[in-house]
Amino acid sequence: MIIPLVRALLLSAAATLLLAAAAGAAEPARYQRTIERYTIPDVVLINQDGEKVRFKTLFDTQQPVVVDFIYGTCTTICPILSAGYANLQRKLGTDTTRVHLVSITIDPENDTPAILKKYLAQYSAKPGWDFLTGSRKDIDRVMNAFDAYFRDKMDHKPLTFIRSPKDGSWIRLYGLLSGVDFLDEYKKAGLQ
Amino acid sequence: MKFLLTVSLLLLSLTTALAAEPLPSAAEIQRLGERMYRDGLLPSGAVMKAFVSDDVPVDGTAFTCVSCHLRSGLGSIEGEVVTPPTNGRILYQERKPYVQGAIHVPLIHNYAVYLPERPAYTDQTLAALISAGIDPTGRSVLKAMPRYELDDRDMAIMIAYLKALSDQPSPGVGEHVIRFATVIVAGTDPVAVESMLLPLQFSVDRKNRLAAAAGANPRVARMGYNMLGDLQSYTFTLARWTLTGPPEGWRAQLDDYYRKEPVFALLGGISPGDWEPVHRFCEENRIPDLFPVVDYPVISDSDWYTLYFSRGIRQEGEAAARYLHGMADLIKDRAIVQVIRDTRRGRALADGFRAGWQATGHTPAIDVLLPAAEALTGERLQQIVAGHKPAVLLVWDDAASLPAIGALAGQPDRPGLVLASGNWFGQALWTVPEPLRELVYFTWPWRLPQEDARFDISVNKIFAGKSPAAYDPRIVRQSYTTGEVLGKALMEMRGEYHRDFLYDTIGMMTDMYYPLYERVSFGPGQRYAAKGCFIVQLGKGEKPQLERRSEWVMQ
Repeated sequence: MIIPLVRALLLSAAATLLLAAAAGAAEPARYQRTIERYTIPDVVLINQDGEKVRFKTLFDTQQPVVVDFIYGTCTTICPILSAGYANLQRKLGTDTTRVHLVSITIDPENDTPAILKKYLAQYSAKPGWDFLTGSRKDIDRVMNAFDAYFRDKMDHKPLTFIRSPKDGSWIRLYGLLSGVDFLDEYKKAGLQ
Repeated sequence: MKFLLTVSLLLLSLTTALAAEPLPSAAEIQRLGERMYRDGLLPSGAVMKAFVSDDVPVDGTAFTCVSCHLRSGLGSIEGEVVTPPTNGRILYQERKPYVQGAIHVPLIHNYAVYLPERPAYTDQTLAALISAGIDPTGRSVLKAMPRYELDDRDMAIMIAYLKALSDQPSPGVGEHVIRFATVIVAGTDPVAVESMLLPLQFSVDRKNRLAAAAGANPRVARMGYNMLGDLQSYTFTLARWTLTGPPEGWRAQLDDYYRKEPVFALLGGISPGDWEPVHRFCEENRIPDLFPVVDYPVISDSDWYTLYFSRGIRQEGEAAARYLHGMADLIKDRAIVQVIRDTRRGRALADGFRAGWQATGHTPAIDVLLPAAEALTGERLQQIVAGHKPAVLLVWDDAASLPAIGALAGQPDRPGLVLASGNWFGQALWTVPEPLRELVYFTWPWRLPQEDARFDISVNKIFAGKSPAAYDPRIVRQSYTTGEVLGKALMEMRGEYHRDFLYDTIGMMTDMYYPLYERVSFGPGQRYAAKGCFIVQLGKGEKPQLERRSEWVMQ
């Protein structure tokens, strides 16, 4: 039924795209990148196992740390960000704890440790990826510290932060990154 | 450039792979298509393979169509990401930066201008979009939408499913009418029933007055249309479905009511006890029920069609567990005792605490069950305390337990903290004598009264000359919220009156501040709107106020 026409259309679309690619068509910037310095607030959050985590101490390390802001029932932005985390863990191979991936909920109202745990399982998260919740006040402080305050979870923006262990600076990435982009940025931070 | 090359190669490979196969029956398409769309599972049962952000592989179960396009297929808005509708009825129409017939309706127009123009899809271009992420203009959507690896037959099933998705208005939606019903369980306190009905009927009547005024006056019609689009011309009906006899017999009565008058949704509803048969009826018929007034909602993290105010009585026990978890360092390895009145309410409070406490890895509390008819005496309570020497005593009982708790006040081995249900104590909470106020804490699943008074002006409008004293103020406030949420959702539905889109729309709402609850929050699939509960103490003085000892939501 649809097949012959699909074939014709796909051939046509492929030809068009190949031409565009061959002509070196410029792609618009897919995300914004800035270098920032942040003061991490001294708050206690709770991880997916219900354990208290003193947030500041996560960064007392020579290990690379990546931070993003997501929530458990998010429909649009979070799955893309989390797919990026899962992909990075896949690339890391067996030692996934070499990089600490930290997701922080922007919906502490709903996101209990049990929901965080279920979310991580959905993305086959391996050790090295923590999902944190906490009081609304403390989550607000963390969002503010990263200049990433969302008045409401429905005002969510796609933000990823990569901390360089060399000088503690942060690469702030604003936009939906492809897996390749994410890995490139990760390498640019001097991390392998 | 690399991206374009990748997509091009994929397209070329697809052209050689496709082959025609017969499709299953319409019912089977619905079943299999829904499974792909919602669960990310192929008709074979295998997991759909998807790639997001061009090249990141994910299992379809982690990132399905429903993740962004939602159950109705009518799309979503989150932050700066707008996901357009994916149902066939809309895909197969050309998209312009306005919606034909609603050009002057800001609610609809503002949505349409976000989306790029495109020609109408065909089966072929839709297949290209799904498998390669290329829309009919040649634009890649892979930045936000995954591409899916589907063979010909699975692709055809998916497309057939999308064509049927939100294709026809839901039952209960007529050309100029949207029908609702509310369910009343016979035997419920008449004051409670009237308190639930009054705000609902007020909302319905207000809407119908607008429709009538629009019908009579072209200027009103134009103004209403500009505000609400076609919604302004609809009238609403609210039927009252009364259920009698034991819960086992309710289902047949509900089926009968529904057969006689299909409704778009149930609004509110009230029962002094069971609600599960109504919940199941809604699940199986896919009928939304917004905010029934019940103490014992069905607790589920997957059921879809009933939106509750909260997790009910149980939520107070859960809040108590979270509060005590926050002071676990002080409690250390000392015991916690739950004195539980053996009634449905007592057991629900204890169950909530038990689940919350054990979820945080603590040693289980010691449960002491009190027979339903046995008075809790001071002597009995002191025996319990002497026997277990608890750090914390939870008394899940009514206010008749207050003298017994009072007898603990002077005891040297008394617990450091006694926690009871402020909800269950009712008005008696305000009679707690001053020496005891430092010892006793209460769960309080609402906004503090002194802070909720600011909503009185809004709520009092619904009484329209009737005496507020004749109604239950909490139920009135609950039902007022039902009317407000429904009105807001319908206004944002862009004329698409589909049951699943009602919940999709509510799921996209921001946190809201209505009377009674400190905050209600939504989100896709979230079905308990008020998620918090304060822990409070009664303040000092002859006219004490409640003083909060916790945040609304504790983790």
